Parts: sequence; structure tokens; C-alpha cells
Amino acid sequence: MRPGSIIYFLREAFKSLSRNRLLSFATISTVAISILILGFAVLLTINASALMNYLESDVEIVAFLEKDLTKSQISDIKQDLTAITGVKSVNFVSREKALDKLQESYGGKEYNLKETLGKNPLPNSYEIKADDPHNVSKIAAQVKKIDGIYKVNYGQGVVERLFKVTRWVRIVSMVFIVLLVFAAVFLIATTIRLAIFARRKEIYLMKLIGSTDWFVRWPFFIEGVFLGATGGLIAILVLAAGYGSLINHMDALFFLPLVTNAKILSNVYISLLICGAVLGVLGTWISLNRFLDV
Amino acid sequence: MLVQFYNVSKIYPNGVKALDDISLKIQRGEFLFLMGPSGAGKSTLVKMLFREELPTRGQIFLASRSIVRMKRGEVPRLRRNIGIVFQDFKLLENKTVYENIAFAMEVVGASSRDIKERVTEVIKMVGLKGKEKSFPGELSGGEQQRVGIARALANRPLLLIADEPTGNLDINTSQEIMELLFNINRTGTTVIMATHARELVKSAGKRVLMLEEGKIVADNPPGELVL
Ligand SMILES: Nc1ncnc2c1ncn2[C@@H]1O[C@H](COP(=O)(O)OP(=O)(O)O)[C@@H](O)[C@H]1O
Ligand SMILES: [Mg+2]
Repeated sequence: MRPGSIIYFLREAFKSLSRNRLLSFATISTVAISILILGFAVLLTINASALMNYLESDVEIVAFLEKDLTKSQISDIKQDLTAITGVKSVNFVSREKALDKLQESYGGKEYNLKETLGKNPLPNSYEIKADDPHNVSKIAAQVKKIDGIYKVNYGQGVVERLFKVTRWVRIVSMVFIVLLVFAAVFLIATTIRLAIFARRKEIYLMKLIGSTDWFVRWPFFIEGVFLGATGGLIAILVLAAGYGSLINHMDALFFLPLVTNAKILSNVYISLLICGAVLGVLGTWISLNRFLDV
Repeated sequence: MLVQFYNVSKIYPNGVKALDDISLKIQRGEFLFLMGPSGAGKSTLVKMLFREELPTRGQIFLASRSIVRMKRGEVPRLRRNIGIVFQDFKLLENKTVYENIAFAMEVVGASSRDIKERVTEVIKMVGLKGKEKSFPGELSGGEQQRVGIARALANRPLLLIADEPTGNLDINTSQEIMELLFNINRTGTTVIMATHARELVKSAGKRVLMLEEGKIVADNPPGELVL
């Protein structure tokens, strides 16, 4: 490609943009809104999934030990527990420590649990964490079989329900995002088709004069990428500003942890920008090929 | 031999038989009138030369290269050797005279220095000096067609095809455009002009091919009077 041609492509692309100002504005707005919704869905998904991970990682199995076990029996049980596949960590909680914990969460200074109860009614226990929280119920079943353990607690039922909810949240947001991408491509293709339609006479002439298909395409692609990337940029600025102020205010309002990792967020924003440009190319491609058949 | 048609027929997808077994040869440097009533197949015939339409049957050669067997990627090069003049001028309204002519060179990737030089040259050739900055809407029909001819000449074509170039012009302006085309032919460019205007053809003393219902009904050599 000659350098003179590149200048020609750029000049034609921007001439067309400024000539069809209203159409360009409409396209940029369409892209901006699509990317904004897409970005919103992505941020929502990232946060939902971070929250789910947080909730999932909190899932643990508590195995209560029978009374009157010897020290060596207790450590044997620990070995049995550690041997189960999928177990990440096993942590002993003595009955004294369990009571302290209870006191901490339910008691307070003016209400002394130890005094009220007189003697400690709590058993010794092990807290078991799994490599993958999804295996908790399987591991729990094996824990139950070990001698010296009289009860296993892992929020039976609740865990299964939590996983069902997280799975559905993920599926629904994926479907939502895919639908949005299709909608955005369709809208851009339609808008660029109008821009091309306005210049169909010019394209026909170019082809009859002896332009190659690529020579015809380039200005439109530059135009499409510019429209897509500009729309994407506007969406990102709006999104970043909105999300930034949400992070600042959310802290005080909710207990929910928002994703603030700068690397994750900048990756999201860069991907959205690329997405805008790609949508522009895709939309142009879909609309243009029909007109080159001369 | 610049152009050769061998038993060319064209049936459009809707079943209309526009050309019926046409065989024809055109020499380099010739001026050929393609005459015939509206619907005779003149436009169809010339469109095959720049491959806007393909024949249903038969072979077509330009400078010994088959237009029919040519690959899609080779079509741009074929078209760069052919200048086309349209009845409705097909000028771009938002470009000046200069820009309309430069357009033809830009879109085949000519350098800006060549463009400047050649556009100035062809503007002088068609007699439009001083009108470079005018827009098509500010020009008369005859002047607009001169721009169309200049644009067709910009890339120094072997062959100039004019399909009813005077169809939208009055008789005096038509005569001027004819003179311009004869002059271009005199400099060595082969010219094919399709028209149904008998009065332009009669006194010209050029070769006339008569087309009726897709068939060649007469091929008058140059110098003979056409009735
Ligand atoms: N694209 C097309 N599709 C179908 N029929 C066509 C098409 N172009 C021309 N025709 C038909 O072919 C015949 C010849 O048309 P054309 O070549 O335009 O004749 P002319 O230029 O001599 O007036 C006419 O009957 C016309 O209606
Ligand atoms: Mg015609």
C-alpha cells in the first residue's frame, strides 16, 4: 500500500464522517450505549462472581468430636481427615476456644456466657476446608464415617442452594452479554449500511474505474473503527466515572465488597475499547460486501 | 485487434434475450458507432467489455485477453484500461470539477504528483480551463459531460466507451461533444459510442454497427453513408 493511498483513505474516512455528521453521531451514540450496557453487565458479572467466590470460600465443614477422646485419638482423627482427597486444611478448635468464639459473637461485656452456662457445653471440633467448595458434601459424607466424630455440619442444603444460585447468575449474565453483543453488531451494521448506501453511487463508480475491493473497503473500515472506538471510549469514560463514584460511596452504604483491583478494571476497560473497534469492523464488513459485487 | 466478440449471447436472469449470437472485431484506433433503437442491446454489449455483465454464451477478448475467463482479482486491471462515459454523467455532486477528475486517479492509487499533472492536462483537453473549482451543479449539461469525458481519459485508457453520451443534451451541445470524441479518437484512443440518435451518426463518416433485438443487422464501414 502506498503512503499516498493511506492519506487518501484517512482523508476520505474523515470527510465522510464530517459530511454525514448526524449519521456519525447516531452511530457513535449507538455504540456508546451498547458498550455501556455491555460494560455494566461485565462489571456486574465480575462483582457477582467475586461475591460468589467469597461466599463459596467461606463454606467449611465442621466435624464435632465425641466426648472423652484421648489426645492421640484426636490426632489420629486429624490424620484421617487430612487423608481425604480434596481436603485443603484441617483446623482443630478446642471446646474452650469454641466457647470463646461464641462469647465473642453473642455475648459482649454485659452478658457473660461462661458464667451463665456454668460449665462448657460445647464439644471439640475440626474445621475442614475443601480445595473446591463444590466437593463439600462429598467430603462431608466421608468425614461422617470416621470413628470418634458424632456430627458433621456444613450448612447442608444451604450450600447446594448457594451453588445453584451462583450457577444461574453466571449463566443468565453470559446469555445477557451474548445477546447484547449481537444487538450492538446489528445496530452498527445497520447504521454503517446507511452510510454506505449514501455513497453507493461512489462505490459503483470506483469499481467501474478499476478500484480493487480493498481500496474501496479501507476508508469504510477506518470510519467504522473510528466510530466504534469513539463510542467505546465514551462508554468507558461514563462507566469508569460511574463505577469510581460507586466505589467511593458504596463503602459506607453496604457490606458488599466491590472489585477495585486496578488491573482487572483496566483490563475490562481496554477490552471494551477493543470491543467497540471490533464491532465497528464487524458492522462495516457485514454491510460492505454486498456493494462490492459490481 | 483490440476487441473480439465470438458468438456472444446474453440472456438476463428474467429470461430477456438482450444479445443473440454477436460476432464482432474492432481495430485499435477505430471509432465505432453502436446504433439501434432503445432496447436493442447496445448497453448490454458495452457492459460486457468492462465486465459489468458476463455473456451467457461466447467469448470476448480485449487485447487478446479473455474477459470471460478472467478471475475476479484481474477485473480492476481490465477496467483501468477502459474509460467509461455515461449518459447521466455520474459526477459526484459534492466534489469540484478538479476533484471529480482526480477521483478516477486516486481510486486506482496514482501518486499525487501524477494526479496534479494529468488532471490539469485533461481539463485543458476537454476545454474546461477555469472551471476547476466549480461544482457539477454550477455547470451546463454539456460542461458536465466534458467533466465526465475528462474523468474517463484521466487514466489514459486504451478504449473509451460512451453509452448515449449525448442522450441528455440538446443537438448543438451534442455536436460539440461529438467533436470532442472525434478529437480524442484522433490522438489514438479507440472509441465505442452507443447511440440511437441517427442524425449524429449519419454525416460522421465512421464505422456504424446497427443492432436490432440483440442481432447485428448491418455493419457499415467508415465513409459510407448511413441511411
Ligand atoms: N439487468 C437487466 N435485467 C434484465 N433485463 C435487462 C437488463 N438490462 C437490460 N435488459 C433488457 O435487455 C434488453 C436490452 O437492453 P439494453 O442493452 O439496455 O438496450 P439498449 O441500451 O440498446 O437500449 C432490453 O429488453 C432490456 O429490457
Ligand atoms: Mg442503453
